[in-house]
Amino acid sequence: MKPFWDQNSFLRPVSFHSCQVNGGSQQLLSACLSCDGCLSEEENLKISQQSLEEVERVLALNKKCDVSKHKVLVASVCPQSLPFFAVKFGLDISEAACKLCCFLKSLGVHYVFDTTLAAGFSILESQKEFILRYHRRNHDSHALPMFTSCCPGWIRYSERVLGSLVTPHICTARSPQQIMGCLVKDYFSTQQKLSPEKLYHLVVAPCFDKKLEAVREEFYNSLLETRDVDCVLTSGEIYYLMERRKIIVEELDLVPLDHVLGETGDSVLVRHEGRGSEGFLEHIFKHAAKELFGLDVHEITYKTLRNRDFQEVTLERDGETLLQFAAVYGFRNIQTLVHRMRKGHVPYQLVEVLSCPGGCLSGRGQAESEKEHRVDKALVQQMEEAYSSLPVRLPEVNPVLHTLYQDWVEGQDSSHVSSLLHTQYRNQSQSHSQPIYMQW
Amino acid sequence: MKESLSLVQRLSAHPDSRCWFVSWSPNGTLLASCGGDKAIRIWGKEGESWVCKSVLQDGHQRTVRKVAWSPCGNYLASASFDATTCIWKKKSDEFESLTVLEGHENEVKCVAWAPSGNLLATCSRDKSVWVWEVDEEDEYECVTVVNSHTQDVKHVVWHPTQELLASASYDNNICVYKEEDDDWECRATLTGHTSTVWSLSFDATGQKLASCSDDRTVKIWRECPAESGQGDVSWKCVCTLSGYHSRTVYDVAWCHLTGALATACGDDAVRVFKEDETADPEQPVFSLAAHMAKAHSQDVNCVAWNPKEAGLLASCSDDGDIAIWRFQEED
Repeated sequence: MKPFWDQNSFLRPVSFHSCQVNGGSQQLLSACLSCDGCLSEEENLKISQQSLEEVERVLALNKKCDVSKHKVLVASVCPQSLPFFAVKFGLDISEAACKLCCFLKSLGVHYVFDTTLAAGFSILESQKEFILRYHRRNHDSHALPMFTSCCPGWIRYSERVLGSLVTPHICTARSPQQIMGCLVKDYFSTQQKLSPEKLYHLVVAPCFDKKLEAVREEFYNSLLETRDVDCVLTSGEIYYLMERRKIIVEELDLVPLDHVLGETGDSVLVRHEGRGSEGFLEHIFKHAAKELFGLDVHEITYKTLRNRDFQEVTLERDGETLLQFAAVYGFRNIQTLVHRMRKGHVPYQLVEVLSCPGGCLSGRGQAESEKEHRVDKALVQQMEEAYSSLPVRLPEVNPVLHTLYQDWVEGQDSSHVSSLLHTQYRNQSQSHSQPIYMQW
Repeated sequence: MKESLSLVQRLSAHPDSRCWFVSWSPNGTLLASCGGDKAIRIWGKEGESWVCKSVLQDGHQRTVRKVAWSPCGNYLASASFDATTCIWKKKSDEFESLTVLEGHENEVKCVAWAPSGNLLATCSRDKSVWVWEVDEEDEYECVTVVNSHTQDVKHVVWHPTQELLASASYDNNICVYKEEDDDWECRATLTGHTSTVWSLSFDATGQKLASCSDDRTVKIWRECPAESGQGDVSWKCVCTLSGYHSRTVYDVAWCHLTGALATACGDDAVRVFKEDETADPEQPVFSLAAHMAKAHSQDVNCVAWNPKEAGLLASCSDDGDIAIWRFQEED
């Protein structure tokens, strides 16, 4: 006879799924973060605290007399979120950004930034690191392939499940969100002569995984007890807030975004290469082609492998393959990549890895169809068009980045580069602990 | 009750352990078994007796729950509670571990090869169903990971003629999957069982699907004609066999040669049902053709019809034994 607990359904053990604690948002984490027991109770709590209610609470405190509880609110908007608002507002992306800025300021947000700047840092650091790893490839087995580090779902899966097979290969450059956190709570707060705990940093992002990233220990300043990012709200959550307050977009003014360096900054929105995920693959490819082989790459040709989320890019000269990179998005393709890693069969020097099929524009915090639990393809298509409409500017030629490297980081090779712009990964492979009961 | 099941041989296959599953090779000459002793055994006939030809010992760290032969007979896949699926290649009488598929969070409950030989499906207590594709160079790629069930997935089975996959779960449902665009999706959910669905078996043409459950019934499902243009899969329960099994039905197997339906039950019995040929195919009628009450001394976990020799049936049990039976039709 099989044990009694399997014979009778009324004795069926209840499947404790940490999902239930948080209602909706847990189910919208990427597949990489969706396994049982991935998130601790504490993490679940911290993620659920990143809510509209929480932000409204902070805004409300600012309206009360107790000055000690007042905070300066800074909102950093991901460039992947702007196309969402462009489509929803029916405006071009630059106008949509200004309308969003007006709305946020009307709530009581003091500064609204575009995180493209922080992404620029991340790209430059990733480029540099790739070159260093490439030069080490013959005597360091962990040097290549290098995996990009901007996706928190991927990072978490690597740390928790894949462990040392993968983590030494992940680029140590901080993600755009993490660098923005640092930029706001360190550089900007100093410029404004505010201590970091007087700043409340809100990030508007395309996905829920970014909420988990915000609670990582690495981005917590234990001395000051402050987080680099206090709260992440998805594009969808902000839009919902606008609907709830019955905001009429036409009645919003066009308010230009702020700049971390004050008045001196772009008045025109620009974007990075690629198709909406900051283009790490494209930027590193072009940089490496130039730096390592003296080749100028103008156009990148993608070869689609088994599906749209597994693509290859190759640099050839005289029939010889010099570089081969891949973009691997989504859980199933990540499994193929990992399977090949275990066998030592990965031909790529760089892989851009993202949890979400379709990349960051398809993040579930904005691309999820309201009616069905699936990606709204028409919406994603429109967002891609809106994103592509922006002019491309390479981070190398951004004067603001140059200034910040000097004034904030104190040089491209300073000792601060590591602490401000780089991070570390932990190996926390969970042992598959046996449940008290055995399920046949 | 017609006792037309006679014992051919009993094998002490996985001593001091459970025998979880048996599977015949495509040409019917070999029988693979697996069990709680973490081993896989390959059985073949020598003269009139079945003997152990080979033991695959070190492939898994925990119980091996199911084994499956590739359609060509050159590969064996094994699904284990150690969360891995091992692919073995047959080299004359021996098997060599070719590759290990990892990724499930916990116990893998089943593995199945598609009739094309290129696709392999697995399912797990982690509620997901995975499909891998293998190429001519034995390289594997993950095709999809689907999460349609809300509980442990017990079994996966491929349709015999179409690229269609079905899964059975502790959530009482059966899901049917098809490829849509560039990914696989659950296109139909078959509800009706009132407890865990343990196993599934398609008939020879794939028009009918048999399922068995902890609710002590076996259900027969029939594919309904597709809605015009939609291509949506729709299945209806056309028959429920109830009152025959006194405990959980752990396995069901449809013979592709004779149409006979065998079941493995927690009451230690093996039963064989035959379809009444005069009945309306839309409302099939099955009658009990054989009932071997004490087929084993403990729960029967699996039944498998030999694909080439009509009437030859293998069963295995928590008692660690394999039993080989001959089912003969009454005249």
